[in-house]
Amino acid sequence: MSFSHVLQSIFSALFVASILRISTPIILAALGGLISELSGATNITLEGTMLVAAFTGVVVSAYAKSLVLGVLCGVLAGLLISVLLAIFHLHLKTDIFLAGIALNIMATGGTIFLLYILTGDKGNSSTLASATLPFVQIPVIKDIPFLDTVLSGHNILVYLSFVLTWLVAVFLYRTRLGVHLRAVGENAEAAGSVGINVLQIRWIALLLSGFMASLGGLYMSMAYLNLFQRDMTAGRGFIALAAVYLGGRKPWGVLIAAIIFGGFDALSNQLGSLKIAPQLVQVIPYVATIVALVVYNLRQQAVALERMRRFQDKELTSQEAGGE
Amino acid sequence: MAPIIEMRDIVKIYANGVVANNGINFSVERGEIHALVGENGAGKSTLMKILYGLEQPTEGELLLDGKSVEFKSPHEAIAQGIGMVHQNFMLVPSFTVAENVVLGDEPLGKGGMLDKKQAMQITADLSRQYGLRVDAEATVDSINVGMRQRVEILKTLYRGAQILILDEPTAVLTPQETQELFVAVRALVDQGKTVIFITHKLREVKEISDRVTVMRDGKLIGTQNTSDTTRESLASMMVGREVFLNVNKAPQNRGEKVMEVRNVSYVAETGRVMLRDISFNVFAGEVLGIAGVEGNGQTELVEVLTGLRPAASGDAMVHGKVVTSKTPREVRMAGVSHIPEDRLTNGLALDVSIEENLIVDRYFNPPYRKGVLLERRVVGKLGVDLIRKFGIRTPNGLLPVASLSGGNMQKVIVAREFSSNPAVLIASQPTRGIDVGATEFIRDQLVQKRTDGAAVLLVSADLSEVMSLSDRIIAIYEGEITGVFTEAASVSEEELGLYMLGIKRQSWEEMEAYL
Amino acid sequence: MRKIFANAAVRELLRIVLAVSIALLLGLIVTLLVSEDPWGAYKAFLVGPLTKFNRFGDWIEESITLIFLGLSVAIAFKAKQFSLGAEGQMVLGALVSGSIILFVPIESAFLRITVALLAAMVVGFLWGAIPGYLKAYVNANEIVTTLMLNTIALKLYDYFLTYKIKPEGAGYTASDFLPNAYRVPSFIPKFAGNLYDMFSRQTNITLFLYFMVASILIGWFLMYRTPFGYELRMVGSNIKFARYGGINTKKVIVLAFAISGIFAGLAGAHLAMGIHNKLILNITVGLGFEGIVVATMARNNPLFVPLSGLAYGYLRAGADIMERASDMSREMVLIVQALIILLVTAEGILPVIQQRVGQGSNKGLSKVVDSPAATEGGSHVI
Repeated sequence: MSFSHVLQSIFSALFVASILRISTPIILAALGGLISELSGATNITLEGTMLVAAFTGVVVSAYAKSLVLGVLCGVLAGLLISVLLAIFHLHLKTDIFLAGIALNIMATGGTIFLLYILTGDKGNSSTLASATLPFVQIPVIKDIPFLDTVLSGHNILVYLSFVLTWLVAVFLYRTRLGVHLRAVGENAEAAGSVGINVLQIRWIALLLSGFMASLGGLYMSMAYLNLFQRDMTAGRGFIALAAVYLGGRKPWGVLIAAIIFGGFDALSNQLGSLKIAPQLVQVIPYVATIVALVVYNLRQQAVALERMRRFQDKELTSQEAGGE
Repeated sequence: MAPIIEMRDIVKIYANGVVANNGINFSVERGEIHALVGENGAGKSTLMKILYGLEQPTEGELLLDGKSVEFKSPHEAIAQGIGMVHQNFMLVPSFTVAENVVLGDEPLGKGGMLDKKQAMQITADLSRQYGLRVDAEATVDSINVGMRQRVEILKTLYRGAQILILDEPTAVLTPQETQELFVAVRALVDQGKTVIFITHKLREVKEISDRVTVMRDGKLIGTQNTSDTTRESLASMMVGREVFLNVNKAPQNRGEKVMEVRNVSYVAETGRVMLRDISFNVFAGEVLGIAGVEGNGQTELVEVLTGLRPAASGDAMVHGKVVTSKTPREVRMAGVSHIPEDRLTNGLALDVSIEENLIVDRYFNPPYRKGVLLERRVVGKLGVDLIRKFGIRTPNGLLPVASLSGGNMQKVIVAREFSSNPAVLIASQPTRGIDVGATEFIRDQLVQKRTDGAAVLLVSADLSEVMSLSDRIIAIYEGEITGVFTEAASVSEEELGLYMLGIKRQSWEEMEAYL
Repeated sequence: MRKIFANAAVRELLRIVLAVSIALLLGLIVTLLVSEDPWGAYKAFLVGPLTKFNRFGDWIEESITLIFLGLSVAIAFKAKQFSLGAEGQMVLGALVSGSIILFVPIESAFLRITVALLAAMVVGFLWGAIPGYLKAYVNANEIVTTLMLNTIALKLYDYFLTYKIKPEGAGYTASDFLPNAYRVPSFIPKFAGNLYDMFSRQTNITLFLYFMVASILIGWFLMYRTPFGYELRMVGSNIKFARYGGINTKKVIVLAFAISGIFAGLAGAHLAMGIHNKLILNITVGLGFEGIVVATMARNNPLFVPLSGLAYGYLRAGADIMERASDMSREMVLIVQALIILLVTAEGILPVIQQRVGQGSNKGLSKVVDSPAATEGGSHVI
């Protein structure tokens, strides 16, 4: 396939639409990661939470023959991971990374284990008739060429991920709880000194984080695909964390960063036909995250140094003595 | 009219036996600016912590407007209208001034959302009402220390504080910022607030307060109208001491110049000048004591001289080798040892064994190191030797340092820093917070080192320690040397106190020859 | 009796034993609920690796990889550097060592293998030095940088494997088998006669066993008998003290990451040259994270790493056997492992330590701040 051919397909409506579809679980999980990170806890169980929610949603919706019940139980299962993390980290003093790694392992093992028991298959749940979240056609837009492919016909969670980004932004910056959450993350002592219940805030942050990640997981097994596969999250929980940092720990930045990751993923598939290996394209956002981090820290250092120098010049050249 | 605050017969004894407050009767009149002065350790912070609910008195009672009250936590004190501005600020750096002022009790608008306009309005109103100039929209990490302090004050006012306790507020301020603070304090009082001002700076007491209470060694020495006092009279109340230590000191045999400090200046991150053009020499065979109340630049001076901070300007040399703006190892290699003022933070690794704590300055040289090997036996032997020589109470040197008492921990540091045969020994608050036995021992050791020919720089807020151990004394106040005394035995505590508190100063011409 | 409990080391051991027992018990309960032949299944799990030589061999082989990884993590963690980069260092170690064996024309098997091993060590060292350098000089959060570098390394591996190493026309993505002449020999030499028959015929344990033992000894020696190890432990215990005492803390941090990478690289070499004898997709299967568990259970002490590595490896091997011998799937062991991690690292489990929990839930707040990443640079990130 020629270069122009590839260019054509990249700028096609299908491609843009596919970016949105691929990015959605990352957006959702990253929003969860953001909430937790801003409260002062790096939640590395996003991966395990997504997996558990994906699994439970499929299983419950198949056996109870109800989409709503499936979604509900999926979320609850994901929240269970958050609850365990909160108990072990906030109350039993386990280091948050060790507890997180343990819970991820438990999620991986638990889901495959139960999958095998329920279906006799360790690979996927194709034998189960699980439900799918609805796809939505947007009126008016669905009749416009190009835009109809790009904007309409997506799964409801795709749209929801944008709405939730906005809601999370409102929550973090316009509500009392959100402000308290950010205060706790930045200076827990200051927050405590004005009467904020730091422990309670940390719990809430972890639960909200788990909730968002659960949605991301449900998307994987009940929208993107309509079954559960072992390890289907394939590291998206960690990509979500990277998106939190690449996005500057702000909701809209995180959204864009998540789309960047999704975009490069989609791009890498297209470029495959140009003999550019997908992996080389896929690493770009990861390298970018490191570079962004380094640049940011260097700037911090430079700003502090500049301030010091400014004071030194000002104070030492002034003639006034500090005494009488 | 009853005083707005009355603290009766307050006694506070901490768990470790220290009597911080010993039968204090303290009262504050409504609408006054009341200064509470005393040296470090006098008990003034403890008294205010009790008032603010951070501590509970062992005995005594508290009356607010004539009514008996008990504060089990700061929240209860705040609810009753008492606000405190601590030395270390409790602000969220990325939040704006307004957001910090209303933190924890944010005004809500439509639909339960934060009302940012309200918050700004409240902040602006309070700011205008009390003359506390702040930029409500600026983020806290971009404003200077003076403004940050005003934000803290606004926080207390937002919560309805009628009585404000300011804990050493000028410790972090530049001179201009201090003046701005005073203007604000007067405005507060004009509006009916009462202000308690903890400080050790007597000039400020005279400038701003209506009445002043002096505390010393856990007791309240007296309360007077400020107009009836002079700085000298306050100084003598603060500093006068009955106890004088008996230290056997061999006559001095001063040798050559070992350390030369030339025009050292240092500016803190906050912009405040901590050291201004400091110059002095230290000679072999003498103890040069630096007398000053903590917070006048001594900490920074020691850190500059030991490689932990770079000097902004000026330098210091040991035997001709420059030691400023070098790494700590280079400074140590030049012959400088350092007993740090904060032994737990800097001086020791708590979960590491005693013997391994003793070698951090020498592990890379023979005999402790042979090629790639750390010679454990040599290390062990050093441990045994030093434990014996310095009387460190422990069954063996393999136990972690954390298993020792405070005094023994300090002995480990002393053992290490002394045994490296330094040319210059810098000891910063070497006996702070440790038991009498260890204190005596360490002081004897310091004097012995000096008699053996080392140059000792002693920095201590304990006046009697400085006076009895030093051969020569330099007084420091607000980052400058205010006086030098070549015959430590001949200067009185009161006199020295005046120089430490910046009330008296020697001119450069008077000092030059003796520094 | 009291005196025994007062000893901190004994308490530690007790806690680990307690945690493992609880986890195994819960595993048993799950098995009872699920399996048709629970006792048979659990017996296979608990005893399986000891029943046959080849099973025993699988256990030892698996553990060797885990021990290399545990050692790698222990070195970094001992300096309070929370490096999660073992996965990336390992996969690159596998890549370069496997590639050298496959493609570099060195006649002598001894030389070719040695070069491959050295290459794995060097690449691990370099890949570890990157986040170390970023942490020491720019204060970049090592959790983020090592996780990013892991993915980059994994993708590089995939790239090379798929496009450069995989033979033309091969059905699935993997390299050729390493040529027989250049395989790492069994750990028992041929002339040992009966021993050879017993072990080498029935197990695949290679000389890597000795490399592993050597690494442990070197690791322990480095940490406790050299000046550098001293510096590393002081930095880990109190970095301010280290600096005050004259230690070049920046250099120590970079080296802690880099040296830790050496052993992760060797773990990768073991995967490529010892276990699989070829390069395959997903060769590391997340073992890097399990190395963290092994190190934590060994309290970051190289001497205990083999114990925890063997224990952890035993659970995995037992699970495999259980799966083949019964209707229980091996994933149950992951649940057991997760429980062990949680219970072992939960400081507030044993009653003796219960007091600290009682000192106020505010203590839980500081744990987030106390974790190495946070104190060293985590909260200063973007």
